[in-house]
Amino acid sequence: MSAQARLEQVSGHLRGKKTSRDAILEKHPDDIVVACAVRTPFTRGGRGLLKDTPAQDLLAHILQALISRSGVDPSLVEDIAVGSVLAPGGGATEFRAAALVAGFPATTALRSVNRQCSSGLQAIVDVANQIKAGMIEVGIGAGVESMSSQYGPAAVSEFSPLLDSHPVAKTCKVPMGVLSEQMAQDLHITRTAQDTFAASSYQKALDAQRASHFADEIVPLTVKWEDPKSGEMKEVVVEKDDGVREGITAESLGKIRPAFAEEGSIHAGNASQISDGASAVLLTKRSTAHRLSLPILGTYISSTIVGLPPLLMGLGPLHAIPKLLSKTSLQIADIDVFEINEAFASQCLHCAQELGIPAEKVNPAGGAIAWGHPLGATGARQVGTLLGGLKRKKGRVGVTSMCIGTGMGMAALWVAEY
Amino acid sequence: MLEFRTEGFNGYGVKYSPFFDSRVAVAAAANFGLVGNGRLYVLGLTPNGIVAEKWFDTQDSLYDVSWSESHENQLVVASGDGSIKLFDVAFNDFPVQSWQEHRREVFSVHWNLVAKDTFCSSSWDGTVKIWSPTRPASVLTLPTQTCTYSSAWSPHSPSILSAVGSDSYLRLFDLRLPPSTSNHLALNLPVHSAPHPPSEALTHDWNKYRETVVAVAGVDRLIRTFDIRAMRQGPLAVLAGHEYAVRKVAWSPHLPDLLLSASYDMTCRVWTDGSAPGNGKVPAPIAKELGRMPRHTEFVTGVDWCLFGAEGWCASCGWDERLLVWDVRAVIGR
Repeated sequence: MSAQARLEQVSGHLRGKKTSRDAILEKHPDDIVVACAVRTPFTRGGRGLLKDTPAQDLLAHILQALISRSGVDPSLVEDIAVGSVLAPGGGATEFRAAALVAGFPATTALRSVNRQCSSGLQAIVDVANQIKAGMIEVGIGAGVESMSSQYGPAAVSEFSPLLDSHPVAKTCKVPMGVLSEQMAQDLHITRTAQDTFAASSYQKALDAQRASHFADEIVPLTVKWEDPKSGEMKEVVVEKDDGVREGITAESLGKIRPAFAEEGSIHAGNASQISDGASAVLLTKRSTAHRLSLPILGTYISSTIVGLPPLLMGLGPLHAIPKLLSKTSLQIADIDVFEINEAFASQCLHCAQELGIPAEKVNPAGGAIAWGHPLGATGARQVGTLLGGLKRKKGRVGVTSMCIGTGMGMAALWVAEY
Repeated sequence: MLEFRTEGFNGYGVKYSPFFDSRVAVAAAANFGLVGNGRLYVLGLTPNGIVAEKWFDTQDSLYDVSWSESHENQLVVASGDGSIKLFDVAFNDFPVQSWQEHRREVFSVHWNLVAKDTFCSSSWDGTVKIWSPTRPASVLTLPTQTCTYSSAWSPHSPSILSAVGSDSYLRLFDLRLPPSTSNHLALNLPVHSAPHPPSEALTHDWNKYRETVVAVAGVDRLIRTFDIRAMRQGPLAVLAGHEYAVRKVAWSPHLPDLLLSASYDMTCRVWTDGSAPGNGKVPAPIAKELGRMPRHTEFVTGVDWCLFGAEGWCASCGWDERLLVWDVRAVIGR
C-alpha cells in the first residue's frame, strides 16, 4: 500500500473536474464491452484461398470461432447482427442458417444489416445499442463478404426514371472509383502522395504480419479451393492475409496505369483490394461480463453517422470524426489510434490530413489497401485491429471510421483494456 | 467552540458515542494518511475542555471509526493496511479483535443501527464486507468492482446497506434477497446525470427520518439527495457551493431536512434540502446553504452530529490536527 498510490487518490479528489478522456477511461458496470473480436484471414477476390468459400460458410466459421475463443455459452447470446453488402436479400436466410451451423441454438436471433462499407460497424453499434437499451444482455455484431462470388453489376438494380431524373439522387450510382478520381483531382491530391501513403500501408501491414500481430484476431480455417492451374479441388488451410505483399514501394506503385481516367491518379495499388472474409465481435455489459467470467478487450463508447453529397462519399470520415469528438467532448490529441478505412489512398489521406491527425496515429498496422476490404466485414475487422493496436502502442482511446458509398460516413469511439 | 489538538496526527473521521453525550472518537493518521502510523482518540467533553480519555496507536493510518451500537465501550476502526480493529475503552493498548481480509485501504466502517450485532466496511479493493464482532471472519463479502469510499446501513432496516465509490454509482444491497449471482445487489444506479460527467462519490448518508432518502457527494463538489425509489428520475435536490471535493455528509438526527458537509475546501457547511413543509405564514424553503464553519485551516475530512442534548452540536476533524466541537445554530445565517 504505497504512499504514492494514496497521494494519487487524494490528488484525484482535488483535481476535481476530470477531463473528458479521464471520464471515458473510467469503468462502469453498465459499460458496453467487447469480450472477443475475431476474423478470418482476408484473401484476394477471385484468386485467394477463400475464393470458393461462400459467405455463409465464412460466417458459420467465424461465429463458431467466436464461441470457442471467448468461451461464451451460445445459449446466452440473444441476438446477432451481420453486416453484408452484396448478398442477395441481405443474406438473411443463409446467415440465420449459418448461425445454427455454428452452434447457436434456435433461440439465438439473427438479422442482416446493410449500410454499405460500414455494415460491420453498424451491426456492432446496433447490438451495442440493444444492450444499452436493455433489449438484450449478450449479442454479436459481425460482418461477412464473399466478393469473389457476389461482387459485380448484379449487386445494384437499375435506377428508375424517377431516381434518374433527380440531379443529386442519380449521382448515387456513380462508381466509387470514378467519383474518387474526380474528388482527388478537385482536391489536388497528387498521385505521388497517394502512392506513398499506399506503399506505407503495405509496409506497415507487412511488418505487423511478420511480427504476428494478428494472432489473437485471425482464426485459421480449412476450406475447399480450386487450383486454377489444374482445375483440381483441394483442401487447404488458410492462415494469413494474402493481400499483404513484399517489395511494394511508392516507385513500384508509380508504374501502374491509372484505372479510371487516362491522366488519373487512382489505380489497383492505391485503392482497397477486392477480398473475401468475415469478422465478428462479442458484446455485453461489463457487469454481465464479470458475472459470466468473459474477457474484456475494450469498451464501446459512442458512434456517429453523417450524410454528405454522394459524389463526396470519400470525405465521410472527415465529417463523422469531428461529430463524434464533439459529442464526446474530445479532441484529436485525446485519441491514440485512428483506424480509418482505406477505401482509396486519396480519401483516407485527405481526411487524416484535414483533421490534423499525425500520420503515425493512422492505421498503424496498415489498412484495406494492403489487407483488402471485404465490404461487410471491414467494420468488425477494424475493432479487433484497433483494440490490438492500442494494446501494442500502450494507448487507450481509439476511433474506427470509414466512408460509405452513396455519401455517408461513420465513426465509433473505443477504449482498449488490457 | 471547543477544540482538541490531535498533535502529529491528521484527522480522518469523527463519531459521537451513541451512549454518552460527552464522548467523541477520532480516527487519525500521521503524515496526512500517506505513510506511517494511525491513532484512535477517545475524547471526553468536560467542563475543563476536551480531554483525551484514551488513545490507541496502530501500525497504519486510520481512516474511519464507528461506535458499537450494543456495547458502550467498543468501537471499530478502518485501517490503511486493510485491517479492521475492534477496540474496547476499558482495555489498554491493543484491540480486542482484529480482522485482516481487505486487500487494500479500508475507508469506511459503519455499525448496523437496527440489528446492532453487525457492522460493514468498504475498501479500495472493490468490496464491501459485513462483520460480526463475535466471529473471526467476515460474514459476507459484497463485490463492487470499484474503489469504494463509503458504506452505510439504512437506519430503518436491519438488512439494507448501501455503498458509493469511484465509479459514480450508488449500490444498494438488500440481504433479504436470495444470494444469487447478483450478490444481494438490489439497486445499482448512477449518481451523476447529464450534463454532469461521472465523478468519484466519496461519501453518502441515509436520512434519519425519510427512509428512502439518501445524500451522496464527492469530487464534483455537489451534494445530491435522492429518493432511492425513483433514482432514475434524478436527484431531489442538488446542493452546490463547496469549492473542492466533499469528503463527508451527515444528516441531522433532529431535523429531516438538515444536512452537514465537510470538504477539501476547508469548510463545513450546513444545508437544507428544501423538503421541510411550508405553512400559511412561512413558505416552503428551497434547497440551499444555510451557513458555513470556516475555522479549519486544512482539509476537513469528518463531521458528525451529537445525538443528545440541545439540537445542533456537532464535531469536525481535519488535516489541521484539530477536532472542533461547535454549534450548528451559531453558524446558520452567517
